[in-house]
Amino acid sequence: MASDATQQPDEGTTHRGTDDAVLDVSGFTKIYPDGTLAVDGIDFSIDRGDFCVLIGPSGCGKSTTLHSIVGKIDVTDGTITLDGEDITDTPTYERDISLVFQDFQLFPHLSVRGNIRYGLERMGVPEPEMEARVDRIVELLKLGDLVDRSPGELSAGQKQQVALARSLVIEPKLLLLDEPLGDLDYKLQKHMERELMRIHHELDTTFVYVTHDQTQAMRLADQIVVMNEGQVEQSGTAEEVYDAPSTAFVATFVGDSNTFFGELTAVSEDGSRATVETAFGDFQASTDNLVSSPRDLLGTEIPFSVRPQSLSLGAGGDNELTCEVEDVIHHPGSGTQVVLEAESAAGSKTVQLMTRDLDDAPDGRVTASWAAADTILLEETSVVPDVDLEADILGE
Amino acid sequence: MVMCARSVTTASIDKAFGSESVLEDVSLDVEDGEFCVIVGPSGCGKSTLLNCLAGLVAVDDGYVAYDGTDVTGRPVEDRDVGYVFQEFEDTLFPHRTVGENVAFGLEQQDDGLTDAEIDERVDEVLDLLNIKETREDVPEALSGGQQQRVELARQLVRRCDLFLLDDPLADLDYKLQKQMELEMRRIHAELGSTFVYVTHNQDQALKLADRLVVMNDGRIEQVGTPKTVYNSPATAFVARFVGDSNALTGDVVRSSDVGVVVDSELGEVSATPRGDVGTRAGVVLLRPERMTIGDGATDRDTTVQAELRGVTYTGEVTEFSVTADGLDREFIVSEPGRPSFGTPGDDVVVGWDAADAQYFETLSVSGSVTVEDIVRF
Repeated sequence: MASDATQQPDEGTTHRGTDDAVLDVSGFTKIYPDGTLAVDGIDFSIDRGDFCVLIGPSGCGKSTTLHSIVGKIDVTDGTITLDGEDITDTPTYERDISLVFQDFQLFPHLSVRGNIRYGLERMGVPEPEMEARVDRIVELLKLGDLVDRSPGELSAGQKQQVALARSLVIEPKLLLLDEPLGDLDYKLQKHMERELMRIHHELDTTFVYVTHDQTQAMRLADQIVVMNEGQVEQSGTAEEVYDAPSTAFVATFVGDSNTFFGELTAVSEDGSRATVETAFGDFQASTDNLVSSPRDLLGTEIPFSVRPQSLSLGAGGDNELTCEVEDVIHHPGSGTQVVLEAESAAGSKTVQLMTRDLDDAPDGRVTASWAAADTILLEETSVVPDVDLEADILGE
Repeated sequence: MVMCARSVTTASIDKAFGSESVLEDVSLDVEDGEFCVIVGPSGCGKSTLLNCLAGLVAVDDGYVAYDGTDVTGRPVEDRDVGYVFQEFEDTLFPHRTVGENVAFGLEQQDDGLTDAEIDERVDEVLDLLNIKETREDVPEALSGGQQQRVELARQLVRRCDLFLLDDPLADLDYKLQKQMELEMRRIHAELGSTFVYVTHNQDQALKLADRLVVMNDGRIEQVGTPKTVYNSPATAFVARFVGDSNALTGDVVRSSDVGVVVDSELGEVSATPRGDVGTRAGVVLLRPERMTIGDGATDRDTTVQAELRGVTYTGEVTEFSVTADGLDREFIVSEPGRPSFGTPGDDVVVGWDAADAQYFETLSVSGSVTVEDIVRF
């Protein structure tokens, strides 16, 4: 079931075109000495020049994967191939891969220029070429005014730029970034996201980036690899992962979703719609996102997801649900978030609704409605068996 | 478990560390029961202000009052305020259970509570925070989010009328932060006490606040509801810090029926003046979601021929980065959903109404912000 569900109908969702893969991770498994299974036989590849983001909750194995690619963590099983060459057992310094840390790790006694030159000096690059490469990267990262300063005289954002410059100047085949913006102020993070996109756009370097922040992943990535409990839930473009999630985990982790579970009880004549019977009532759902034939799923338990922005207040959609308003939050610039509580014999459920700015806050009992086309059927909850979806998403 | 709330007033607070002025003439009124969020960049003085409110830092000048009573000289332990820090992991006792950790503060307080009463209060607060099932666990067995809730519980169990919170969600993962933001609102509503909350995250600030206090460089730039601060920013700094915006520079050439005409990098644009204008160079700020790209743009007050540079789909909205003749940077225009206006390199039309182009010559309250700072922000 697990391997079936990750194969999307449109070719290349799990493995994008491998013709020009620069990195291939195959059957990668990591078991720590204390017996913890951190990564459980994952496969993915990254196309040359892509910006790939590994994303998942705390403890999903994304950092372990990144550190194994660079060689800081040894591989229990599986192979890592860089540009066609098996580097699974190659020492870190021979891998032609750079890693940028969250805490920058600049040399405090060297100037900015000295920090950027350091890697090239170690590689024995001749002086004129070295200066040319340093100058080019200094210009690209707009560090011209700072080259003579010491790291102690830099702001956090500037340090991050220098750390990036130092890693990029050696022209690695892969640049790995481990939550590089995690410690920065909100505004600076947004600014650095744009800078990273620009820098990536101007270079041919392949970036592999780890974060727990799904909005960052959506903005930055050509390819997103969604991980959960040591496994890959889905690998694809931002559009594929957001619009055609392969599991309820992906639908809920990447962007917000209201996820329901129920029995698939009927399929329309043309097969485009299905009826799902839940504790909250029967709902009409689109079958577009299913890999299996909908009729084969008749009588089975199945999850489906609806994005908060697909819900509207008031009756009139294919699906309706009566709820109590719990909270109304105005997000100036992006609309009004309504937190709803739906009741059923089997317990209550929080439902999120996002709408354009509402002047009058709704309260009391309301009807939320949405279209069948926005009701995305998902073949399974997660590639991980028996997960508690909510706890899993929060890394608990 | 409804508590009393208290109001907090500060008048003309000054604070310097050595020769470095950190707070200058800070006057603030927080009403009882309010969720007040202080937001600003690193080093703006927001945490120092919170420490002054708590009594952890002595003010050099001015005073702090609770419910109209001057508490400026009162030591922190006599103030009856709850204080939640960002670095919660270091403050929990590792060898005590969650229940014992939460009870600790009450036992120390020595206000004559019996063991049974303490027990009941601990149960009540753990229930409020949805962590009742962890009562017998040690902190190490808990996730980051649960540990943060234990730290909150330790403070909330004291039933203070005033809670001061210093970026308590900053260390949490994205998903957990979003979840805890909703929890914070619910807890505040259920307790009814006054919350003063500090964060650098303007998105979080907009969601949590009844009232938002924007700080920069040791001064208060603006106080208002999130809606007011977002829609009617008092200074260019506020407009730039709270929410996203695109900046044009220029000066007023004449007034018009809709406001003023500014000679900018993109030629003459109509704009709505904010504050006093007409004496020096200023900035026009445009919210990405108030701009239009594509055919719809031709109906707007100002229309610009631009080049599409990039398209970023974020799920809820799509962000288009564009540039135009005369502009040495990219603007962001956002549209809901996933529309298409061509591919990078294509010509596109971008437009906006004068009402959505806000022109400022007052860049900041402190006067320390330049036009270049605003553009570079």
